[in-house]
Order: sequence, then C-alpha cells, then structure tokens
Amino acid sequence: MAGAATWTTVAYGQKPSMPVIGYLCPESPELFGSRLEAFRQGLEEAGFVAGRNVAIDFQWANGQYSRLPALAAELVARNVDVIVAPGGAPVALAAKATGTSKTIVFEMGGDPVQLRVVDSLSRPGGNITGVSSLSVDVSPKRLELMRDVLPTATRLAIVANPTSPTAPSQLQKLHAAAETLRVQLQILSASKEDEFESVFAAVAKDGASGLVFTSDPYFAFRSARLAALAMKYQIPAITQTRDFPVAGGLMSYGGDFMQSHRRAGVYAGRILSGEKPSDLPVQLVTKVELVVNLKAAKLLGYPFSAAVIAGADEVIE
Amino acid sequence: MIPQDRFRGLFHKYLLALFVAVAIPLAFNGVIESWFGYRDQRARLDQWLSLQSASAAAEIHDFIHGITSQLGWLVQLPWTDEFDERRRTDALRLLRQAPAIASLTLLDGNGLERLYISRIGLNRIESRTDRSADPALVGARAAQIWFSDVSYNRGSEPYLTVAITGNRPAVGAVVAEVNLKLIWDVISAIKVGRTGFAFVLDRSGRLIAHPDISLVLRGAEEATSRPFRAVRDAIGSKAGFATTRDAQGHYVAASAAPVHGPDWTVVVVQPLSEAYAPIYSALWRTAMLLAISTMLAGILAYALAHRMTEPIKLLEEGTERIGAGSFDHRISIDTGDEFQRLANSFNRMASELALAQQHQERIAKLKRFLAPQVADLVDRAGDDSVLDGRRTEVVVVFCDLRGFTAFSAGAAPEEVMSVLSEYYESLGRVIAKFEATLINFSGDGLMVLVNAPVPVEEPALRAIDLAVDMQKNVQALITGWRSRGYYVGFGIGLASGPATVGRIGYKDRLDYTAIGSVVNLAARLCASAADREILIDAKVAADVKGRRPVADLGGREIKGFDEAIPVFGISFGALQPSGRGMSGTIR
Repeated sequence: MAGAATWTTVAYGQKPSMPVIGYLCPESPELFGSRLEAFRQGLEEAGFVAGRNVAIDFQWANGQYSRLPALAAELVARNVDVIVAPGGAPVALAAKATGTSKTIVFEMGGDPVQLRVVDSLSRPGGNITGVSSLSVDVSPKRLELMRDVLPTATRLAIVANPTSPTAPSQLQKLHAAAETLRVQLQILSASKEDEFESVFAAVAKDGASGLVFTSDPYFAFRSARLAALAMKYQIPAITQTRDFPVAGGLMSYGGDFMQSHRRAGVYAGRILSGEKPSDLPVQLVTKVELVVNLKAAKLLGYPFSAAVIAGADEVIE
Repeated sequence: MIPQDRFRGLFHKYLLALFVAVAIPLAFNGVIESWFGYRDQRARLDQWLSLQSASAAAEIHDFIHGITSQLGWLVQLPWTDEFDERRRTDALRLLRQAPAIASLTLLDGNGLERLYISRIGLNRIESRTDRSADPALVGARAAQIWFSDVSYNRGSEPYLTVAITGNRPAVGAVVAEVNLKLIWDVISAIKVGRTGFAFVLDRSGRLIAHPDISLVLRGAEEATSRPFRAVRDAIGSKAGFATTRDAQGHYVAASAAPVHGPDWTVVVVQPLSEAYAPIYSALWRTAMLLAISTMLAGILAYALAHRMTEPIKLLEEGTERIGAGSFDHRISIDTGDEFQRLANSFNRMASELALAQQHQERIAKLKRFLAPQVADLVDRAGDDSVLDGRRTEVVVVFCDLRGFTAFSAGAAPEEVMSVLSEYYESLGRVIAKFEATLINFSGDGLMVLVNAPVPVEEPALRAIDLAVDMQKNVQALITGWRSRGYYVGFGIGLASGPATVGRIGYKDRLDYTAIGSVVNLAARLCASAADREILIDAKVAADVKGRRPVADLGGREIKGFDEAIPVFGISFGALQPSGRGMSGTIR
C-alpha cells in the first residue's frame, strides 16, 4: 500500500499537458521489472518516453489479485488517458469491469475472445485491445514436453490456480491431451504462495513423476520460489516462463513475454497518438519459446533427449 | 502637357519593347527547360521506383525462398516402414531455425502422414493418416513446390501453406504452415525514400504484409484491402509507376513487382509530394530564376529606355525653348551618337536664328527713317557708323498741306485720318522710291533728307525729282479730295547746304535728324510755297540748272532771314515724266 502511494506520486509531478498512462500491475515493481522494461521499449518505439512526453501512473497489486478491481477503479477515477493492463487475464478483466470509456491495452496469456475481453482478434470492438502471448494455448504442449522427458511416466501432476479465469479451459485441454498421450493426470490446486510447498510435497508423496504448471501469472511471477521447491523435492517440473529454468528449474514453454509486453507498449503509444482501439487487432505473440536447463536435468537425473535439446530456443548449462 | 504625354508614350514603347525582347526568350527558355527537366525527373523517378519495387519483391522472395530451401532438407531421404527418430529431431531443429513455420507435416511416398510437429498443438508421430488427396500434396507432386492461397488464422493472422516434394516419390513430401505475420520483419525494414514503404498483396488482392501490422491482422476484411488493391490496379500491367491515392486519400507514386511462386505482388508507394520533391524544387528554382531574370530585364529595360529617351527629352525641351525665342539656349547631349549630332545641329540652328534675329532688329530700327533698300544696304555694311554724327552737305525737303487746319477743324475725325493716311501712304512710296531719309512727320508736314546718312550722287537733282514726284502724287489725290468737297493744297520747299546729321534720342527711341540753317531755310521755303508750288533755294537751283526747268522767282522775304533770299521754283507739270531721269541718277 505504501509502495503504491510513493509510485503514483510520480505522475502528479508531470506537466499537465503530458498524457498519462494508467499502469495496472498485478505484482510488485521488483517482480515486474523485466516486463516493465519491455513495455517501455515498446512505448519508445511508438515515440513515447516516460517522463519526457508521457507520464505513467502505476498501481501495484503486489500479488494480491483480489485488489485489482479496486486499483483499476482508482486509475479510472484519476482520469488517465489510457489504461494498460498487463500480466494476465485477471488484470484485463478487472480493467474492463470498471466500464471505463478510456482505452484499455491488455497483455495476457489467455485467449481474449474466449474470455470475452474482445469480440474478435481482427476487430476487437469497444475500447479494448492488446496482446496475447499464447501461453494458455500451449499448456498441452507442456504436458507433451514433460512426457518427452519422462517417456515411461504414466501419471503426471498438474497445478492449476482455481482463481484464474483460464483454469477451466486449460484443464479441459490438458485432459484431452492426456488422453492422446496416454497418461493419467493428478490435478492439484494452488492460489497462494504458501500452498506451493504442499503441492510439491503431495507430488513427492503421491508418486507422480513430473509436475506441469498451467499458465498463470501468479505462478509465472513466483518462478524462483517454484524452482527452489522443485529442486528441494527433486521433482521435474515445467512452467510457462523462462524465469523458471533461469532460476534453476528444469524447463519452460510459453510465449515470449518480452515480445508481448513490448507490443503492448507499442499499442499504448499508438493509442496515445490518436489511433482507435477498434482499428488495432489483437496481436498474438509469434514466438513461443522452449528453455531447458541442462544442469537441473543432471541434478534431477532426467537427461533431455536430442530432439528436445534440438528444439530448444535456449539451453542453460 | 501634350509633349510630355508624347514623351511618356515613347518611353513606354521603348520600355515594353526592350522588356519583351529580354523577357520572352527568358520565359520561353524557362518553360522549355522545365518541361525537359520534368520529363527527366519523371523518368528518373520511374527507374528508381521500379528498382525499389524489384528489390522489395526480391526481399519477399528471399523470405519465401529461405523457408522453402530449408524445407528441402526434410525431403531428401527415402522413407522406410520404421520411424526414424532423427526425422523428428530434424523437424524440431527446422522449427527453431525458421520461426515463421508454425507446423510441419511429413508425408511418405504413399501420401501417409508420418510426422506432425507444431508449435502450439500436440505433435503426432506415425498417425499414418492418408493425405494423398490433400491438395497440397497433389499440387506439390505436380510442380514440386506448391503454395496455397493465404488463409487467416482465427480470422486475423495470415497463413500460407507450402508443400514441397523431393526429387523422387520415395522421399515423400513436407507440408508447412507459414505464419506470414513474420514477413513484417522484412516489409517494415524496406524503406522507400524517406517516408515511402512497401506492401504485399496476394493473388486475389488481399493485404498480407504491411509495415503497419494492425492492418494485416484485420484478416480478410474487404474494407482494409480495397484501397491497397486499388493502388495495385492503378499500376496495372503497364510499364512505369502510377500516381494514385492511398487509403487516406493522399496522392502517392506507386510501382509494383511480382513475387513468383506464391504469385504475390509487392507494391512500393511513396508520397507524391516526396517523390516529386526534386521536380517541384527544380520547377521552383526555374520559377525563381525566371522571376529574378524578369525583374532584371525590367530594370535593364527601364535603364535603357531611360537612356534612349533622355536625349530625346532634352532635344524636345531644347527645341521648345529655342522655338519660344531663347536662342541662347544650348542643348547639352554627350552621347557620341546621332543624338549628339542632332543636338549640335539644333545648337547651330539656334545660334543662326539668334544672328538672324539681331539682323532683323537692326533692320527694323533703320527702317524707321531709312528707305528699306537703304536700310538693307546699311545693314549689309555690317556696322551702323553711318548713323554717327557728322557734318555734311544735305538737301532738306519740307512739304505740307495747305488749308489742312481749316479742313480738319470742319471735318469728321474719320475723314481727317482717312485723308492723312492716303497722303502719307502716297508720300511714303515716293520717299522709298528715291531712297530719301525720312526725318519726321507731324500733322500734315513732312521732313525728308537727301544725301544723309547715305551719300548719293546728284543729291540736288534727286531731291528735285523727289519733290516733283511728290507734287504729282499728292495733286492726284487732291483732285480726288476736291470731288469729295475737301479743299486742301500741297506745297514743297527744298534747300541745300551743310548740316550736322546724326542720331538723337535715347535707347529705343532713337531718331536721325539734321541740324543747321539749311533746315530752317527749307522749312521757310515750304511755308511760303503755295499749292502746286515747289520752292528751291539758289544752291539747289544752281545744281540742277540746265537739267531741270528752273524758274527764277526773284528775292523773297523769308521769315527768320534778314534779307530777301533768291528763290526759284520748278513747275512740276513741265517735268514729264518725273521718273525718266531716275535711272541715271541712282548709281
């Protein structure tokens, strides 16, 4: 709360003529730093530099997603020129729920059409548009990859966040994929950080050989914690974000968040330049990246096949 | 006012003529130069735009060719019944290498699907689905390489299906889904001039690549593609670029080039304002030069016209002043040409006019008392020293009318003046005829001098003839007057002797006169002469004796003289005709 107050004051120091971006962030500045940097790059591509010709009014939920609607309402009340809702479907939905007439630029992993955020990708309609990173769509691919690593496994554990709006559709797709891949699924839930340990403990106890995380921003932003737990319990795991293998986890498969946040920045800039959101189709991230950590594989005792390594966009040794 | 107008007219004519002589060739030259410059620039633009479109098409072709050449690696080994794990590895490697490829399908020689690799969906190994009727495979088998029409993933992202077969049926085929959104990296890097860009249309004219990705992501939307298709259609199949309007209605120069294989068209457009900037700047430069040259021509024409009309103006003013009588005015023109010569002529003429005027004035002065021919003679002599005072022998003639005072008192003034004017006119003719000098006249009396200022031969004889002529003329008049009832007579007195002659008076009122007793004597003789009488003194009588019939009238008491003076008379009737002796008397 104190953090939010200090960050927001930045906006009020700016010249009144400068347009203001309301930046609704589900996490804290520390966790969101790399995404914010990508966003700033995109803004700059569109000709806007924060502090010079645009001001950014931040609202930080610091991981408490339940506060997002209140923070979104706060931004709307401040009459910002454009609302940027990055970091997942909950943020976009919270911003949209305010019913503001201001343009909303989202960045999420889910399918914005299915979530009823937009009417269609090519013509979003209304005052909202943005970028989808495809992370949600590729949940079955994570299951497939885990299956490649553990070809003999018959039972794999899935972790879903029950509070996530995309959880049901992801689970549905995962079940279908599991049938194709002929594995059994063990569905686990976690929506708070302190529930993570019990998830790993349950997997270790229940004998499922691998752990697949559904796409969820809450998980994504806590990759370091998840990596540490995976190593602690010696469980091979896969998540959506590269942060996970970088922090010592086994591997990740998901949309390139640098690309998605940068494009959100470009769109925010174009909106500030006067373009209408209805003219800006929803962009899908073109790059879905596979990152593997050979060191973790060695520690866990599950070496990657040549095919997996060949297909990896980044290999951490 | 009128000459001034005429002058201005001439100046304007010169100004106009000179200006036109310079400005018209300049303008002509400017227009011709602009026209050729415009054509050159257009040709250059045409060449340049064609080059741009060709190079853009080459880059798009490279993008496609890069993908197809990589796909070629997958169709080199013949299929066996066993699945080779290396094929999966190769496919995954290719996927990593070619980010635009979204999925790959490997088919064996029988058209069965052996491997399917996707970035999003689940992979399939050895599904053995029969794909032999798949148009991609059919097409590729026919032409080795086959491109589908562009389709739109979820109505937004453009996708292209590419199928390639190997060099023999056993190696099978590969079918790849290519996400054309990645052409953006290529198309956005193509810059045409400063603000120009390129875009790509497929066979049916749908937009598949544009630097603004949001246009491409609108999918098959007709409204988005239509303006771009219009640009392509404006170019048509004809050679060279076309000028048309883009979606925003701005004029653009556009050129197109085909991409063989998928049968696409790459169009490069550049805002017309930018494309024509060199043309505009060249035109502008020419216009500026023309304007400056025209201005210079104007100044030059003004200066020349001024230079040409200034001497004319001076001449005009000069001749006007000379015409007005300022003969001392001189026209000062130093142009060294005909104008100067003309001015010199005028100056010469003016000085001659001045001389002529002086001459005229002098003649006029002399004519007051000299007979015109004598006056000319004096003038021709060049100096009027003959008029200077001196003592010389003269014959003085006096004459007047008898009974005139009584007549004038009784007659109307008009009648008096009429008589006098007839009288003097008659006498004037005689005086002029005999070249005598008229000294003065007052009322009906007249004094005439012979032998001064110009000496004559036989002055006495001439004076006698003069007097006789006078009498005859006046008597003829008198006869006429009598018939009207005017009763007057006419008498003459002559005397010869030395007298002082010369000019008297002041400034413009100078008269010539004679002073001496001979004047008095002549006056007295005249006074005592009756009508029809000519009285002469002894000296005159002696001078003409034997040549004119002189009658001795004996001594007479003359007023102012102490003793009686011998007086002679001449009967004028005895002299027939009076002018006979004249020829011999004048030179």
